[in-house]
Amino acid sequence: MSTPRQFCTFFVDGLFFGIDVLQVQEVLRYQPMTKVPMAPTMVRGLINLRGQIVTAIDLRHRLGLSSRSADSLPMNIVVRSEEGAVSLLADQIGDVIEIDDETFERPPDTLKGAARELVTGVHKLKDRLLLILDTHRAIGVAQGVAVEA
Amino acid sequence: MKSSLQQQLIADFLIESFEGLDQFDQDLLGLEQGSADGETLNRIFRAIHSIKGTAGCLGIQRMEKVAHVGENLLSLMREGRLKANKDIISTLLKYADALREMLRNLEQSGTEGTTDHSALIARLQELQGEPSVASTPSPAPSSAPAPAPAAAAIATPETVAPEAVTPPVSTEPNPPPTSAAPTAEEDAAWGFFSDAPAAPAPSAAAAVESAPISATPPTSSAPTVERETTSRGSIADSAIRVDVGHLDKLMNLVGELVLARNQIVQHIRSSRDSAMLPVAQRLNLITTELQEGVMKTRMQPIDNVWAKFPRIVRDVSQELGKVVRLEMEGRNTELDRTIIEAIKDPLTHILRNSIDHGIESPAKRRAAGKSEAGLLYLRAFHEGGQVNIEIMDDGAGVNTARVKEKALQKGLVPPEQIARMSDREACNLIFLPGLSTAEKISNVSGRGVGMDVVKTNIEKIGGSVDVQSEAGQGTTIKIKIPLTLAIIPALTVRSGGERFAIPQVNLLELLRVESGSAENSIENIFDAPVYRLRGKLLPLVFLNRVLSLEPPDPSTLTSLNIVVLQADGRLFGLVVDSVSDTEEIVVKPLGKQLSGLTCFAGATIMGDGQVALILDVMGLAQHAQVAAVERTAVSAKTEEAQTDEQTRRQTLLLFSVGDRPRMAMTLSEAGRLEEIPRAKVERAGRREVVQYRGQILPLIRVAQHLPGGGEDPIADPMHVVVYSEQGRSVGLVVSNIEDIVEDAVRVEHRISRDGIVGSAVVHGRVTDLLDVKGIIREAEPAFFES
Amino acid sequence: MSKTIMTVDDATTMRRMIAFALKPTGHAVVEAPDGRAALDLARSRQVDLVITDVNMPNMGGLELTKELRAIPSYARVPIILLTTESDPEMKNKGRAAGATGWIVKPFNPEQLVAVVSRVLPN
Repeated sequence: MSTPRQFCTFFVDGLFFGIDVLQVQEVLRYQPMTKVPMAPTMVRGLINLRGQIVTAIDLRHRLGLSSRSADSLPMNIVVRSEEGAVSLLADQIGDVIEIDDETFERPPDTLKGAARELVTGVHKLKDRLLLILDTHRAIGVAQGVAVEA
Repeated sequence: MKSSLQQQLIADFLIESFEGLDQFDQDLLGLEQGSADGETLNRIFRAIHSIKGTAGCLGIQRMEKVAHVGENLLSLMREGRLKANKDIISTLLKYADALREMLRNLEQSGTEGTTDHSALIARLQELQGEPSVASTPSPAPSSAPAPAPAAAAIATPETVAPEAVTPPVSTEPNPPPTSAAPTAEEDAAWGFFSDAPAAPAPSAAAAVESAPISATPPTSSAPTVERETTSRGSIADSAIRVDVGHLDKLMNLVGELVLARNQIVQHIRSSRDSAMLPVAQRLNLITTELQEGVMKTRMQPIDNVWAKFPRIVRDVSQELGKVVRLEMEGRNTELDRTIIEAIKDPLTHILRNSIDHGIESPAKRRAAGKSEAGLLYLRAFHEGGQVNIEIMDDGAGVNTARVKEKALQKGLVPPEQIARMSDREACNLIFLPGLSTAEKISNVSGRGVGMDVVKTNIEKIGGSVDVQSEAGQGTTIKIKIPLTLAIIPALTVRSGGERFAIPQVNLLELLRVESGSAENSIENIFDAPVYRLRGKLLPLVFLNRVLSLEPPDPSTLTSLNIVVLQADGRLFGLVVDSVSDTEEIVVKPLGKQLSGLTCFAGATIMGDGQVALILDVMGLAQHAQVAAVERTAVSAKTEEAQTDEQTRRQTLLLFSVGDRPRMAMTLSEAGRLEEIPRAKVERAGRREVVQYRGQILPLIRVAQHLPGGGEDPIADPMHVVVYSEQGRSVGLVVSNIEDIVEDAVRVEHRISRDGIVGSAVVHGRVTDLLDVKGIIREAEPAFFES
Repeated sequence: MSKTIMTVDDATTMRRMIAFALKPTGHAVVEAPDGRAALDLARSRQVDLVITDVNMPNMGGLELTKELRAIPSYARVPIILLTTESDPEMKNKGRAAGATGWIVKPFNPEQLVAVVSRVLPN
């Protein structure tokens, strides 16, 4: 039996991604960020989320995609983690969509690099493919992610 | 489900009993050491007496029973009919442990547990001697009243109907005296003395007439007492118990308030609203006071942790067959409770470690001409906004040779680093993970957690730990920890367009060097920039360089700002673009992604709502390698007499070049020492290079850049000193590496020429100092261009 | 009319328990952790009934009883001692000190209320 699940969707460098809505705390427009010198490159900066300091991770960097042009401002998808909230920076936010498990398929073996590590599967939607992101790995708390300065 | 009252009562009971047992332990030890006074035995008795009484009322029957047996023994002791001896004290300590275990079970699972204490109980009864002592009642329940029905109802409300969960009284505000009220004077559970001044009538109804005093006491004319809404209200208590959770919440709220205050104050100041200015000032003051007040409520004396140490020392030393005398100074030194909590385990571990590895067996001590009893001395005191804790023993000291050997054997430190290690540095190797010098894993300290965990835990709360040791004389472990973690005063600075907060505790002074003199005022010793501060050399660290930030625009640079900082005994000047105000900041932790960054202690939110990073001064010093210069600052202090402005303690690498048998460079300039077979040398144009760690390493024959140089007999393999900067390296070829020495070096400065930057007397001999940068610049002009 | 009862015990749990048991009686309860504090409290405000533990730091229940009896306004205020069965001589001492009665620990709330209702009739 398939249970429909809701995904918060967003775009990164033309790719269409989804995260289980249950993992998403909130979605915010661009926030001013404080740079962290010597931080791993995926860390774009720190934002003030109502008094809480949240690390912002650039998904373009994390996924090994091309850098965002200087004039486009990223959006924040704030996800929950055991370590507190972490923001994932995406180019654009899509709708929250409901999908059946039936459309799910494991990622192809040919997927390489960071994508292989972070994309847990693909939903075959009518007009496009939705890539499901492993948020725990994306925020770098899961094993196998070099976070050394 | 237990009723919340029941839970609350049990929670109180647990806290109270644990505290009572800790005092019990201490008092027993005092008794053993003969430092007990008349009140000690009373306290010892009361501790168990209270547990028994309360446990009984709470229906915790096994504990009541166990407590009862101890009470009997203690009662004999209190009345002077039984004298304390080592056996009795040991048994009573075990007995306290048994009670603790029951309490812990109660805390965790809600029951007293099932451990069989019959042997212990038998032993306690045995110690009471023959039951011939007339007044000692047998612990049999015969003389005990039956607390059972209602008490059981409180204890196990699961078994009764919900309305009975609260004690029956609540449902019967005026219980008829039918159920429990006896009329006779003598009753097992309660009664009245017939000749007592306020002897009441046998029944409530009659009492009104026959006991006028109680109905209208002479005092009813006194001001009517207010009816207290909660029955807990206490006037006489000078102290009250507050849930720690409440205090934590208050502390968080105050933190938020501080932030809001900062924003408001900043806004009002910038708007120059004169009407609001006094209000802002008042807000400022009140917030500060409130914050201090709340912080104070969370302060606890370090004795909360130390109080358990006499017991631990006794147990551990007995187990190891050692004799240890524990002395403590500064027991009332106060710390934030979160810190108290955090240092508990590290301190305990150090203590165990000192007894296990530090203090020798009595036989060994005798042989070494020491007293049989080892001394363990604990000291705590406040200094410069920090708490210092020292643990000193007069034992054998850290065996540095053994420690080095271990570190080498386990591959924890590269051999060349070991070779140039001072004794003090070698001592600190004990904090390396994986290093255990104990010959065999002992039951006491070899439990898989080592001193590395101690160090990590102390550093986690922003503290530092250092060990000093002298062979045969003993070891001192010094710990420095902040008073609190939550809110700290900090200085805001800017560098490379970014804003940073520097904890005030590290701040010594601010220097501003005007632009005219700025260039002249910075001198370089080799490549280390220094500033002459009142005749002493202050090593400089440029924040923008350390953090790879943009350098300031030279045209806008009108002055040079130096923040003089101190961390862990190191003194250095941090050069920043500009300096702003000091304000209270709320320290917030960085995410796990950034945990590898040692230069930052956290982040905070500034008055404008933006995030700023908090510099970790010690991490920064380490990162910028102020460390080498640091020792200079420390030892310079102790050898004030022979120190003048240019004498500095330095670690030097001594080497020979060509016909010069003795030259030197500072060890901090020598990145690595390598031996490279001549066969590996390749030629690129007229340069000699080798492949080294995936890079092309240009080689510079030092002799060719020194006066009279030219020919130098090159050994095979070649001795190469690798110098690195900004990821690039160059190899300096010398004839031989002679030695690494640490000495107070008096540098005779002269204008750098011919590859020599000056000379110094090293270990009694005049030694030329190599101008490392000059030679590299000459041989590889492109090296320093970034 | 509501009266004021003072409970004196060094064990907070015990004081709290007594206070709770007495809640339905409608009397106000004030607390003190030892005899000395109780005496101070008793001097600062008149209470109508004292329920006190015997074994306490600073000042025990017997001494407290004697001290209270020396204060004119407490000459006839009922004082109930909380005793334990391991203290058989206590009754004599309590009587000598001037206590009104005793309750043996552990007690149950009904017993406590019964005692209180007899010395503090509504």
